Amino acid sequence: MKNNLKVLRAMVNISQGDLADKIQVSRQTINAMEKGKYVPSTVLALKLSRFFEKPVEEIFQLEDED
Amino acid sequence: MKTHFLFPNQFKKIGWILFVPSLVIGIVLYTNSFNFDDYFKTNVFAILNDELLSKSNYFSIIKNGILDEMILIFIIVGGILVGFSKVKREDELISKIRYESLVWAVYFNFGIMLFSTIFIYGMMYFNVLIMNVFSMLFFFIIRFHYMLYKLQKSIQDEE
Repeated sequence: MKNNLKVLRAMVNISQGDLADKIQVSRQTINAMEKGKYVPSTVLALKLSRFFEKPVEEIFQLEDED
Repeated sequence: MKTHFLFPNQFKKIGWILFVPSLVIGIVLYTNSFNFDDYFKTNVFAILNDELLSKSNYFSIIKNGILDEMILIFIIVGGILVGFSKVKREDELISKIRYESLVWAVYFNFGIMLFSTIFIYGMMYFNVLIMNVFSMLFFFIIRFHYMLYKLQKSIQDEE
């Protein structure tokens, strides 16, 4: 699964740490997601979707191997 | 995040204070063939007690040096608190790392057990069994904190 968190984060100009505080996860989790090393739970995906005010599909996309 | 079976974060510090000193003292004394039964002799209640070449006693009060029991209890309780207290910001990634470290520790520990069973004999095998009381917990704690450290470091490297 890939995501465009980094781009979205740049668009609203928020740091990894601040975003982590907003959705109550550790900064490591945001970092790992952006690197594609961690696939978040549905709850976390929905929290991100609510924060960026975008549907989940616009933040996360399936890849061929998924 | 809702978590099951974890202690509050404050317990982690208590865990370290119990775990590290008792582990160090325990290993140093044990490897120096310290005679634990000569110290802190106390009456204890024994559900079962057997001594070499004598028959077993059930439900009796016996005299026993309790230093080794105390050290082992501190290692186990401390280790549990270190490994299973929430970190400052416990989230789903941390839970995943904790779980994977636990799986790793089970494999690693039983790997060592298999190796020791095949290649180690005599009194030394008895020592391996004693270490095994807390070795899985020890490997888990090392692995878990190493993975947390690596995660933290990968962020710092980016800056």
